[in-house]
Amino acid sequence: MTLPLGIDFEFRKLIMDVHIGSDKIKYCYQCNRCTDNCPVANVANPFYREVTNWFDPRLIVLGTLLGYKDIVMALAGSKSALIPWGCTVCDTCDTVCPQAIEVTEIITLAKNVTTGAGLAPDNVVAQAKAVFESAKAIPSQPAIERRREQLGLPAVAAPDVNEVQTLLKNIGVDKKL
Amino acid sequence: MTEYKMFEGCTIGNRIPFIEASSRKVLDKIGVQTSQAPFTCCPDPTGVKSFDNMAWLALGARNLCLAEAEGKPIISLCNGCTNTLRGVQHQLKHDSLKKEKVNAELAKIGKEFKGTIDVVHFVDVLKENLDKVKAGITKQMSDLKVACHPGCHYMRPAEWMESDDPMRPKNLKEIVAATGANVIDYDELALCCGNAVAGPYPEHGDAILKQKMDSIKKAGANVIVVNCPACFQRFDTSQRDLSKKFEAEYNIPVLYLTELIALAMGVSSEEIGMKNHRVRRNTAIENL
Ligand code: SF4
Ligand code: SF4
Repeated sequence: MTLPLGIDFEFRKLIMDVHIGSDKIKYCYQCNRCTDNCPVANVANPFYREVTNWFDPRLIVLGTLLGYKDIVMALAGSKSALIPWGCTVCDTCDTVCPQAIEVTEIITLAKNVTTGAGLAPDNVVAQAKAVFESAKAIPSQPAIERRREQLGLPAVAAPDVNEVQTLLKNIGVDKKL
Repeated sequence: MTEYKMFEGCTIGNRIPFIEASSRKVLDKIGVQTSQAPFTCCPDPTGVKSFDNMAWLALGARNLCLAEAEGKPIISLCNGCTNTLRGVQHQLKHDSLKKEKVNAELAKIGKEFKGTIDVVHFVDVLKENLDKVKAGITKQMSDLKVACHPGCHYMRPAEWMESDDPMRPKNLKEIVAATGANVIDYDELALCCGNAVAGPYPEHGDAILKQKMDSIKKAGANVIVVNCPACFQRFDTSQRDLSKKFEAEYNIPVLYLTELIALAMGVSSEEIGMKNHRVRRNTAIENL
């Protein structure tokens, strides 16, 4: 696979802005502690595999830090691509990073970018749809409502679905569903 | 006494409400008062946040607004919900740009995020009231050898959660020990259950869960205690498939922390709907 080497300054700015009030992503010195402690990298990266089949938070940080949007998107350019969707959001990388880089937030941004391109995994899209339609990730069902009653629980307070839809439409979420 | 707004979350409220039943029992017994509010999905810090971070911030902030309007703190029964609500609050409090953007959206629906209320995980409330928990215990759980699984989002990221040591958590162990159960140490205490990656990549999710389960088995636990509904479901529903896939036996029952405490307080397993668990109860649990 040939990787395009264009630096995208807009993308770089987005990445910088991930960190609250600082540009500390610059101080990543590629020590690999994030990848060493990542549970997914640990099970997904046997030796001698195509690099495109690897899940490597350190590489994601490097690619995004340099503004290589095209590389990140090339790696992430198929449905549910392992980069970035292999991240299980355990927040171990940012906990162990000696430079306090919010690696998980960077990967979240990469996920958000692929979502715009229609490449998010089906289960993630389905959840977003459910939230848009019912304001809950898991809509209320009659069988569960009965079970709640049997257990002596009050009914779940119904959320204002209209208001939620207005909010999400204004942000543009409906167009990505 | 503080009254909390109860945030049961989508998974507990609309899928496994028996966990809410034990939670409400325990909170009642230690005198913690709660009331309801029409909260939406938190939303999910692994799902909706990955889909669209702005939607995550805005919906989370809207939920916080509902509690702010009543001036009451939120108690959450779920790691994910706590993580989202605390995370949104953290980001909006420390990033004025994000706060401006979110408030511009909220203004269109007549709301404003101020950041005036606190969000607490039920584990922290139990820990704070540990003397009352202890006082309510009528039955020592000494037959149990417990592997504690606090889950990622209870304590990570540490800057948002401010709850426990992010890699060597101890709060859950301390509360479990208060019921007279034996807390068993195991190597992979801080390891994820692999829930989020199991969606798009079940093979990686399974490999992580296997690593976790092998460590728990090796330590000789006869029950796993959790404080997150996503982790609960993962352990409760995936062990059978895991056994088939790896030709090994994984059938350790799972208890929600509030189930363990309710049982230790003399509440019957019928009353809190424990028959809805999937993993067959082993003798250690059956005898409770
Ligand atoms: S642990 Fe931090 S500094 Fe080290 S490679 Fe990862 S992001 Fe960079
Ligand atoms: S948050 Fe994602 S990238 Fe970081 S350690 Fe966990 S799975 Fe790996």
